[in-house]
Amino acid sequence: MIAPNLSWILILPTLGLVLLCLIPASNERLLRGIAKLTVLVPFLLSIWVFMAYDHLNGGFQFIQNIPWVTPLGISYHLGVDGINSLLLLLLGAVSFAAVLISDSVKESLKKFYILLLLTVISTYGAFLSLDIFFFYFFHEIAAVPVFLMIALWGSARREYAAIKLTLFLVGGAAIALVGLIALYLYSGAQTFDLVQLQRYVAIHPIPAATQHWIFLLIVLGFGITLTLWPFYTWAPVGYAEAPTAISMLHAGVLKKMGAYAIIRFALQLMPDAAHFWMPIIAVLAIFNIVYCGLVALTQRDLKYILGYSSCSHMGYILLGLACFNTIGLNGVVYLMFAHGIMAALAFALTGYVEDKAKTRNLDELGGLLKCMPFIGTCFMMAAFASAGVPGFANFVAEILVLLGAWGQYPWLTVLAVFGLVITAIYLLKAIRLGFQGPLPQRLAGLSDTTSFAAKFPYVMLLALLIVVGCLPSIVLTHIASSTKVIIDSIK
Amino acid sequence: MFPTIDWSLISLETAMAMILVFLVVLDIVLPKKTTKDWIGILSFIALGGLIIFWFTQTGLAGTTFSGTFIMDPMAWFFKAFFLVTGVFVFAMTQEFFKTLGERRNEFYLLLWLALIGMCLIASSVDFLLMFIAIEILTISLYVMTAYLKSDKLSIEAGMKYLILGALSSGFFLYGISFIYGATHSTHFDVIQSFTANNPMTGFTLMAMVMIFAAAGFKTAAVPFHMWVADVYQGAPTPVTALLSVGSKAAGFVFLMRVFLGAFGGWHPQWAMTLAIVSAITMTYGNLVALYQTNIKRLLGYSSIAHAGYLLMGAAAGSALGVAGINFYLLGYLFTNIAAFLVIIVFSVVTKSDEIADFAGLSKRSGLLACALLLALVSLAGLPPLAGFFGKFILLMAVVKSGYLWLALVAAGNIIISVYYYLMVAKRIYVDPAKSTSPIAVGGGMQLLLVIAMVAMLAIGIFQGPFFDAAMKAVLPGLR
Repeated sequence: MIAPNLSWILILPTLGLVLLCLIPASNERLLRGIAKLTVLVPFLLSIWVFMAYDHLNGGFQFIQNIPWVTPLGISYHLGVDGINSLLLLLLGAVSFAAVLISDSVKESLKKFYILLLLTVISTYGAFLSLDIFFFYFFHEIAAVPVFLMIALWGSARREYAAIKLTLFLVGGAAIALVGLIALYLYSGAQTFDLVQLQRYVAIHPIPAATQHWIFLLIVLGFGITLTLWPFYTWAPVGYAEAPTAISMLHAGVLKKMGAYAIIRFALQLMPDAAHFWMPIIAVLAIFNIVYCGLVALTQRDLKYILGYSSCSHMGYILLGLACFNTIGLNGVVYLMFAHGIMAALAFALTGYVEDKAKTRNLDELGGLLKCMPFIGTCFMMAAFASAGVPGFANFVAEILVLLGAWGQYPWLTVLAVFGLVITAIYLLKAIRLGFQGPLPQRLAGLSDTTSFAAKFPYVMLLALLIVVGCLPSIVLTHIASSTKVIIDSIK
Repeated sequence: MFPTIDWSLISLETAMAMILVFLVVLDIVLPKKTTKDWIGILSFIALGGLIIFWFTQTGLAGTTFSGTFIMDPMAWFFKAFFLVTGVFVFAMTQEFFKTLGERRNEFYLLLWLALIGMCLIASSVDFLLMFIAIEILTISLYVMTAYLKSDKLSIEAGMKYLILGALSSGFFLYGISFIYGATHSTHFDVIQSFTANNPMTGFTLMAMVMIFAAAGFKTAAVPFHMWVADVYQGAPTPVTALLSVGSKAAGFVFLMRVFLGAFGGWHPQWAMTLAIVSAITMTYGNLVALYQTNIKRLLGYSSIAHAGYLLMGAAAGSALGVAGINFYLLGYLFTNIAAFLVIIVFSVVTKSDEIADFAGLSKRSGLLACALLLALVSLAGLPPLAGFFGKFILLMAVVKSGYLWLALVAAGNIIISVYYYLMVAKRIYVDPAKSTSPIAVGGGMQLLLVIAMVAMLAIGIFQGPFFDAAMKAVLPGLR
């Protein structure tokens, strides 16, 4: 198979973005067409990268390395391993679905697509970069577009939500930045290049006392992105008020950058500190799972339920990160993918309901299965996936995490299983109140999606959940080829 | 006997002085009724010529005037910086003073004088020349600040700047005399070898504090920042731009040459003071900026905060720290210029600098809104704009020198500043417009805005060559 050139994943959509800027705002059809094409192309390239990645050889592949700021050891270094090739696929699928369902957006379309594509491209950049500086650089570009999109196209409390989310994320990133700079300076390797750093640290480990505080800064900073309890409060309100496309992308993909950074920069490069801090993180993870789950139980707003649910599920990712074994870490990466698709699907469906019914309050909804059988069924399946019903990808992921955690933290694992029960309760409640029972008179005229094109994004995401859930080996071989290296370096 | 002078080293200042004299004569002989802005046009051409000339002179090196005037990479870098600033400020003046008629001519002459002063500061390695250079800059700024004779705020600003500026000059002179008493010289290299071989005493400490007051005044560091908000608000906007970019950069050259050069031997004892001043300055500037309703005042307090960030480089005292200051100022130049260009175009049309009136700017002029947004994001220090990499280097410099706490204070400050910058961004993009009449932007202004935006992005994305330039312009001997 021909080796893909990773730079095209960044360059082609950037060209699309420039093209989009040049088209007059009045030409709506062309704008929509170009926007769709601009996310479809990197999605297809990501599929190609995923298929072409040779998991038998493992390691980083399709590498591109251009020195950027030589005196500081910064280079434009792209490459993928089993972990980020899967995350590229996740981003490709979610961003494509997000642009497809954005057909319902009518206001200032041009600005909407420009900001959305900027967010998507920068996230691609973050996942592709094997240079710590460029990871941070790309990851931070998304902050302003997300802020503007929530503030411009969000719902009622959009301004509050936008500024709260942005301040938390920028704050976390600033703390992490200090940690990353310290990592660069104290490792002694004089490079931001992840591959070189890994090699260097394997031979000359950073002194344990130094590791401790650097690790804390990085995990705290990126933990905020990953809604680590108690720094999760930005997420439910942020996701609830954001336009659907941003809820999908952020809950599905962008917050996973936090977990990705913790795996790559904290766990692998500073194993001593990891053994010291991660058990504490595991306890916080249980707070995530149980506390956020219980809060989700009390919510009446469908998007808030999903927001808290998303924070709750990040607990499993954090718990898996604290396991120090391959099963657990495989589970983490698997869950990043599975949860990303599931969250995007759930937010997309909620967005559809809100768009039609003009409310997301469960007290005003009801019986939606009668008027929207397709959307309702999809929502129920997404809820089953979220609750860990076998057959969906989330089941495999959560089982892996729980198995990984069992040996290390038996009591915490019992509590974590309890979290799945809570998930089932609040989601079944949401289904009962929103989708079953009598249909209120006010909602009687609502229509389901009719055309195949309108159904496609939901079907695509659902299909991914089921296929990956029934044939875990498709992604697990990729994941395992890369997590093993990381676990070996931690032990 | 008269020392020999190497005229090639001071070619730039000489050329500028001759242009100034020529323009003075022209101003006298030009008929009073000419509507064409001859002085402005000629100034523009002359500046363009000087910039081209200056980029052919990268190799200039040496000292002259009995060793008081130096040409080194740092002097070259900052003179290029001031020339570019000059181009933008001249253009702003043309736009801002459209209605002022012939009185505008004297303003151009003062601008030239300020430019000469700034270029001299970049080259001074003797306290006497440094003092004269700073006075040339400051005195022209006093006049320019109070230039709008009928505007109460402008007069107040000029008065405030004059009184505090005179006070700081007094401190500066007094400090110099103490230093002369201790070291028997005003030459920086003599003082440098003195500080390298002698411990700091109470006597010299007092001198340094006084000189620091002068540097703090120019760079707008707390507690010498009292003038900033009122002067930024009251001064004609091109002067505010000059103050926030040129004058601040000149202040930092002064600070670096004196505190890292002349007093370099005592830097280890001073570093903690600089770090604390840096932390207080950025925190104060950002906290007070939260409550501003006037965009020029907001940028005034933000300028104090940025002085705090820049002082991190001085506290680090390393080559990386100085390179950080140089790079940061380079990004800050285009960032602030973009912001002030927008403010000028906006205020010429709407007669207002209130942030509330910027509501819905994106619907009135896409270009202005986009330029202001990029400037705000760059000021906040988010990628992919120039401000991010500047902060990145400065943070790296302080962590490297062992001031982790200062880096964390700076990180906290970034969060505060993101809030107020984004609130302005929210106003221009989200809030409904009070008036929907479009704001027309002239061709020249459009070009300058695009140049500033492209520069912000280029410096922010292709950091390599700019970082090399900033690294080259580091004081010799720093590690």
